Amino acid sequence: MALSVSACATDLQTRVAGNLTALSKNQTVAILPVETSDPGQKEMAKMFRQGLYANLKQSKFHLLERYVIDGLLKQNKLTDPSTLLAINPMQFGEILGVDAIVFSRINKVERSYFVLHSSIELSVSVQMVDTRSGEILWRAEQTEQDFSGIGKIPTGITTALFAPIQFVTNKFNLSRMTSNMVDKLTVLVKHPNEADRENQFEKPVIAKNATNELKKIEDLQQLKAEWQEAMILDEEAELSDSSENLESNKESLVEITTKPDSNSVKKNIMQARSLVQERKRVESEMPPLSPKKEAKIPVPINLSQATTVEPIAVIESKEARPITRSHVGTSAKQLTSRKTQLYTIQVGAYKTKAHARKLEQSLKRKGYDVFITRNGKNIYRVQVDRFESKEDAIKLAHRIQIKEKLKNFVTRFSGV
Amino acid sequence: MKYWLAGKQNSLLQKLTIFIVSFGIVFGGCGTVDLKVRKNLDHPNIHPNTVAILPFTLAGPTPEGVPVHRLFRECFFNYFSYLGYVDVPLETIDYKLQAAGMKKYKEVLGFSPEKLRDILAVDAVIKGRVLETNNFTGGIHAETSIKAKIEMIDLRTGETLWETEHKERIYSGILSPTVVEIIQDQMDNVKVHQALYKTAEMFSIGIMMKIPDPAEVWQKEIRLPEIKSIETNLKPNQKLKPNDRIYVNLKGDAGLKGSFGIGSWKSNIPLREISPGMYSGSYIVQESDEISSALIVGTLKNAQGLAGKRFYKHGMAVIEKSSLN
Repeated sequence: MALSVSACATDLQTRVAGNLTALSKNQTVAILPVETSDPGQKEMAKMFRQGLYANLKQSKFHLLERYVIDGLLKQNKLTDPSTLLAINPMQFGEILGVDAIVFSRINKVERSYFVLHSSIELSVSVQMVDTRSGEILWRAEQTEQDFSGIGKIPTGITTALFAPIQFVTNKFNLSRMTSNMVDKLTVLVKHPNEADRENQFEKPVIAKNATNELKKIEDLQQLKAEWQEAMILDEEAELSDSSENLESNKESLVEITTKPDSNSVKKNIMQARSLVQERKRVESEMPPLSPKKEAKIPVPINLSQATTVEPIAVIESKEARPITRSHVGTSAKQLTSRKTQLYTIQVGAYKTKAHARKLEQSLKRKGYDVFITRNGKNIYRVQVDRFESKEDAIKLAHRIQIKEKLKNFVTRFSGV
Repeated sequence: MKYWLAGKQNSLLQKLTIFIVSFGIVFGGCGTVDLKVRKNLDHPNIHPNTVAILPFTLAGPTPEGVPVHRLFRECFFNYFSYLGYVDVPLETIDYKLQAAGMKKYKEVLGFSPEKLRDILAVDAVIKGRVLETNNFTGGIHAETSIKAKIEMIDLRTGETLWETEHKERIYSGILSPTVVEIIQDQMDNVKVHQALYKTAEMFSIGIMMKIPDPAEVWQKEIRLPEIKSIETNLKPNQKLKPNDRIYVNLKGDAGLKGSFGIGSWKSNIPLREISPGMYSGSYIVQESDEISSALIVGTLKNAQGLAGKRFYKHGMAVIEKSSLN
């Protein structure tokens, strides 16, 4: 009876993922600093982390040294353990160079004393996440309770009084309980092959932060794919335009600049703008994975066409001369009416005008003479400046590529 | 009179406090580890960085023949790795010592610091001698204890940096406060291997609190291998088919071991350093491969095992099952 009343109680809920077995000595795991719910739990947090280290040393994966983790977190100004869980696991993959991370939190350290009875209750949560996929490999919650007092049948009157005091004040008890707790907690993660079906996740569970991050990446890629498609359409349109121009040898160029004068167009633009806002939020919320800042403007997807391309059927002017910066203010119509072949730098092509506008405004703020043209396939092309000399256009194109990190190409100026 | 009474009260209080403290210590069954630090390790240059824990030796017989020295060494190593030293894996140490001619653990005690440094190429070693072990269960008394001497020797100078001789004891008996604890402890004590490991664990936890930890010293010097950029031929929304080849190019620190992985599905695909700092490699999609939205992650690893990682975020590896048919 005594044993049933007094045996220290453990409530352990633990689950592992099948992919945990794939971790080997080639994969590195980092045990992050332990979050506490109260400043008084720091000592327990240290003991717990040390216990996790010692126990997981017996597992089949490699542990990153504690001082390396703490040093790198400090370098990245991540010194508050309570903020770590909010960070995307992939970011930890790059900060620490590890394949998985272990988050843990001390939920409760409670010592109670009631003259003839005292107790200690510890509660912890642990989660191991794969930084490469965001998958939760191990999740556990454990509560451990132990007590001393009349429930354990004291050996005498003196012990009835002193055992409860000794139990809650002796540091050794907390240390012993923590050690026992970690021993039980890590059994499954050390031997994931031995996990029963009930201790395994039914299907892969992805950490919330990672899900959000992957969703953002997928959205961004979807957007880029659309841009890429738009770019191809634009080039096709340009090809057909130029061949038509050659055949008919038209002297004047058709003005194709969009003028959002109808209500329906305005409505479309409003929709497109809200889409842009949404995409922008997605991009800006994405945690920076490297200190280097990316250009915030939407990057047109012409990666494969990053190099400058030869304009098709260029009619060289005998008087061809570079247009100096003073020409920038010259009206487009004036320029086109000269009948000389002009070159421009295309920095983007979009199906949605709002995207094109965004890039246009961004470049305008930086002082570029930027404008939007629309081709026959309803693709909005963002172009910069006009030149009589192709070489000059190429020079600026290189500058834009280096300074603005914008892939671009030189093409014929077809008018605005 | 008033002062006399106050003095008497204080005296009683002091006696009571001493009694309670002594009582607590006795019942705890364990004294704190008395670690003697022989050398002031405050200066960063003095702290050893790489440490090897030599095989522990055994002075006498052990309960039920449990190899306490091995068990204790492994347990000590597991806890010691928490501190800010670069600790050499035990298997590596044993392999190197055996290759140098060590046949019995005791022989290691006779090796000079110079010889150990030549063999192990570390700044310091830890020597451990298990002097006494005990596991007894009888009547209302149960006890498991390990007495050991442990010291750290700086191989650069031959000096002892710290040492301790301690007896860790876990017991219960007539001094245990409750009947249940006596029964429970006796039940635990019967499992000899487990009881000895638990004792070794408590010994290790106790000593780790006292060993100087240079973690702060090394933290500032940590630098992971840098990956400046990673490129692949994956395009947004691209679906891969069998025999498609994923190319990965990585630019970063030169002279390192490069590899890449496809999410967590496949890792350590080697990258070849084609010119200093430029690494290249590829993977051919197999018929049996099935990947759903995996990011390509490039890795550069240095000789210390530290890795720099970088994700390629402009395209994901997707091989749908339907594409196999």
